[in-house]
Order: sequence, then C-alpha cells, then structure tokens
Amino acid sequence: MEVNLAHLHLLLNHFPIIGTFIALGLFLASFVGENEDLRRASFIIFAAVGFLTIGTFLTGFGAQAMLTGKPGVSDALIARHEGSAMLTVWFVELTAALAVIGLWQYHRNSRPAHWTLSAVLFASLLTMALVARTGNTGGEINHPEIRATQDTSQDVTPDAVPAEGPIGSIIRVFEPTPEKFSTGIVSNKWLWAFLMAMHFIGLAVIVGTVGILDLRMLGFLKQLPLAPLHRFMPWAMAGLGINIVTGFLAFIGQPENYIYSGALWLKMLALMLLGLNAAAFYLTGVFNRVQPLQAGEDAPMSAKLIAVSSLFLWFAMITFGRYIQLLSNTVRLPGVTSN
Amino acid sequence: MVVPQIFNTVEQSAFSTWIRESPSLFAFYFILLFHTIGLSFVVGANTVVDLRLLGVATALPLKPLKRLFAIMWTGLAINVVTGVLLLIAYPTKAMTNPVFYFKLLFITIAVITMRKMNILFDDASLSDTALIAKGKSLAVMSLTFWIAAVSAGRLLSETYRFLNYHQYLIKTGLS
Repeated sequence: MEVNLAHLHLLLNHFPIIGTFIALGLFLASFVGENEDLRRASFIIFAAVGFLTIGTFLTGFGAQAMLTGKPGVSDALIARHEGSAMLTVWFVELTAALAVIGLWQYHRNSRPAHWTLSAVLFASLLTMALVARTGNTGGEINHPEIRATQDTSQDVTPDAVPAEGPIGSIIRVFEPTPEKFSTGIVSNKWLWAFLMAMHFIGLAVIVGTVGILDLRMLGFLKQLPLAPLHRFMPWAMAGLGINIVTGFLAFIGQPENYIYSGALWLKMLALMLLGLNAAAFYLTGVFNRVQPLQAGEDAPMSAKLIAVSSLFLWFAMITFGRYIQLLSNTVRLPGVTSN
Repeated sequence: MVVPQIFNTVEQSAFSTWIRESPSLFAFYFILLFHTIGLSFVVGANTVVDLRLLGVATALPLKPLKRLFAIMWTGLAINVVTGVLLLIAYPTKAMTNPVFYFKLLFITIAVITMRKMNILFDDASLSDTALIAKGKSLAVMSLTFWIAAVSAGRLLSETYRFLNYHQYLIKTGLS
C-alpha cells in the first residue's frame, strides 16, 4: 500500500483536534491550585499542535486533489471544509504562538504574565470550537451518516448547499471562500512579492540568530558567553512565525504549484525534524546545561549534535525551498491526472 | 530604451544557455540557492550585530562580534559571484528592469554601512559605550537597506518586462 497525501491528511488531522482538546484540558486544570507543571505542559502541547497542524493543513490540499470530481463527492462540502480550515488554522497558530511566549516567560521570569494567560485561554477556547467545526465539516465530505440532512440524493450533486446547524451558521460568516482567497493572493503581484520578501527576511533572521547560537555550541566564537546569545531566540521565533504565515498564504494562493513538488514535502519533513530537534534541546535538559557556559567553556557533545542538526536542517529548508519550482512535477497522486 | 546587442550575444552563448535550460540540479536553481545562502549569511550575521547595537542581549560582549564580519563578507562574495552568473543567464531581464538598479543601489548603501561598522569594531581603542553610540545609526541604516535590498530582489521576478532579448524585440515591435 502506498502512502499518499490523503492518508497523511487523515493521520495528521487527529493532532489539531485531540491535541487542542488535551492541551486545553491541562491548561484549565492548571488553574486548580495554580499548578505550574500542568500549565507548562499545556503550553508545550499547544506549541506542538501548532507545528503539526502545518502538515495537516498542507496535506488537505492533496486530499482535495484526490477527491474532487469523484462520484458521490460534493465539491460544495469540500469547499465548506476548506473554508473552515482556512479560518481555523490562524487560530491554531495564534494559540501556539501565545503558548511559546508563555514558555519564554517561564524561562525569563519563572512565570507567565497575566495577559498571556488570558490570551491563551481566549485563543484556545476559540480554537477548540473552530477545530471541532473543521473536523466535523471534513468528516461530512465522505460520511453521509453524520450529515444534518440524511437526504443523500441532494448531497451528491456537486453544487449542493450543505445544511448548517446553529453554531455552524455563526462560524460560517467568518469562513473565507477558498476560491476568492486563493485568487486574491495571486492576483496582486505586489502582495505576492511582499509575501516572498517577508519570507526571505524571516529566513535571514532565523539563520543569523539560530546560526550564531549553533556555532557557539559547536565551539566557534568561544569569546562569547552562551546565555546572551539565547536572548536572540524571540527574534528567531518572530522570523519563524512570519515564515509560517507567509508560507501558508503562498500555499493557499497556488496549491497546485506546491502539492506536486517533492521538494515542498521534503521541506516540511525538515521542518518537523527541526521541531523534534528543538524538543530534544529544551525538554531533555541540554539547554539547562549550556545556559551557564561562560567565555571559553565548551558545550557537551549532546549540544553539539543538536547544533549541527539545527544548522543542517535550516540549510536543508532553504535548499528544498529553492528547488520547489524545479521539482514541481515530481509527486503523483493516485487517481489524479496532474498538471 | 535601446537594449544593446551584447545582451543577445551573451544569452546565445553556450554557458548562458546551459544555466537557463539545463535540467541538471546544478544549473540555474543551484546558483539561485547559493544566492539565497549568501543572503542569509550577510543579512543574518549583520542582523545579529545590528540588534546588539540597538540594545538586544546587552550581556553579550561587543568586541568578539567582530568575527561575524568574516561571515558577512563571505556571504557578500558568494552573492557577487552568483549574482554575476544569474546576470549571464538573464541579462536583458535584469538590465531592462528599473527595480534591478534600485536593488544594486540598496546593496551599495548597505555594504558601505557594513564597511563602516566593520571599521568601528576593528578599532581597539573604542570603548563599548562609544562603539554603541557611534554604531546605533549605522545599525538602523543596515537593517533598513538590507530589508530594502531583499525586497527589491524578490520584486524582480514580478516586475520584469522582457524575459530575454527575443522578447524585447517582439514586444517593442522591432522584430
């Protein structure tokens, strides 16, 4: 059995839904007795969910390519799910960003700020509702048994308008129309150039700030104490945030340009590995061991392995990114006659 | 605007054609990749120094940051070489695009700023406070003009009028 993008989408969609649910549960529980361990754990899970949702969102376009036009599949139901996802994804990432800010505040001040707690609470509750809506509308594409109207004859016509429940009708107002969203992004060349310019500036900031920390851990620039170098990490995170947002928008603008490119999926794989690398750095105590390093002191081997992986993977990201265009016809989806 | 014939000669050459049309992984996209890597060295390393001068990570000693300039000049060298190769591949496309000249202007200003900053860091007699006082405005210039240069670079693919000399002849009715 070949693994295709539809498989990956169905696998990955569990993370934003169940992950948000668990993280939200832990976060709410953390208010009982002000349990900072639960709170930190919830922030870590919110951040991980943000990361994994990138894959969920992108593979969705692949699943769409495979399903659209097939008998018994309503394009209107697909479009509704797609519009829902195009609203939800920003809130998943916003919650993740706020959680990362909270984790930074734990590191710098031993506790998150009050505004951060309120913001995470508000954002995560909203995300939970939106992610449930996206999951539900996604299920309804190929599961007629859960649809509001059991009248299957209406649903099979491609332009059938899906029935909405009370909550759905409210959320529906905010969901973009996928076609219009995509066209809006590619129709204005100044917007496109702006998105790409921001993407490159983001990558330069990341390479500079993360790169210098990695180099120090590898033993270069030893005249520098390590802890101050880590103070650049919020800038690296800002760069990453810019690149995730601009990356999403570029993808939404022209999905066919990306889903058939092997380089794009390799780039996403590299991004996921970078997430694992960061988890290895921060969650296993390596970070705590390198923090106090003064000028002239050498980092442990574990830190050097993490640093070299980081450098390798960031340059892999740039490489795969630049080769997206050249390798734009290297992925074939079963049942799809692609460009 | 009259486009010199030399662009046509360059575009017809074997080397230029190879860069543009070879399916090899090491042709156009490889050069473009190293142009991006060079950019990340220059702008990345320069951003760290700029941010330090502007008050981020004040516990970081200034003098050792002098070593970062080697990374910046290396990145610039990579980009000059790859830039020339890209120009050989698409001379008409770049040279008939006003945005290209803005890009070169922004780079020139940013590099002059980088050189001035390098001189400041090389001056062993300067105290840290004096270095920061003199370096702050250079840091702002540096960030501004590197951001402008990168943006202009990205605009090139959206704003060019003629992909090659042949296109120029067709679109201006000279063919």
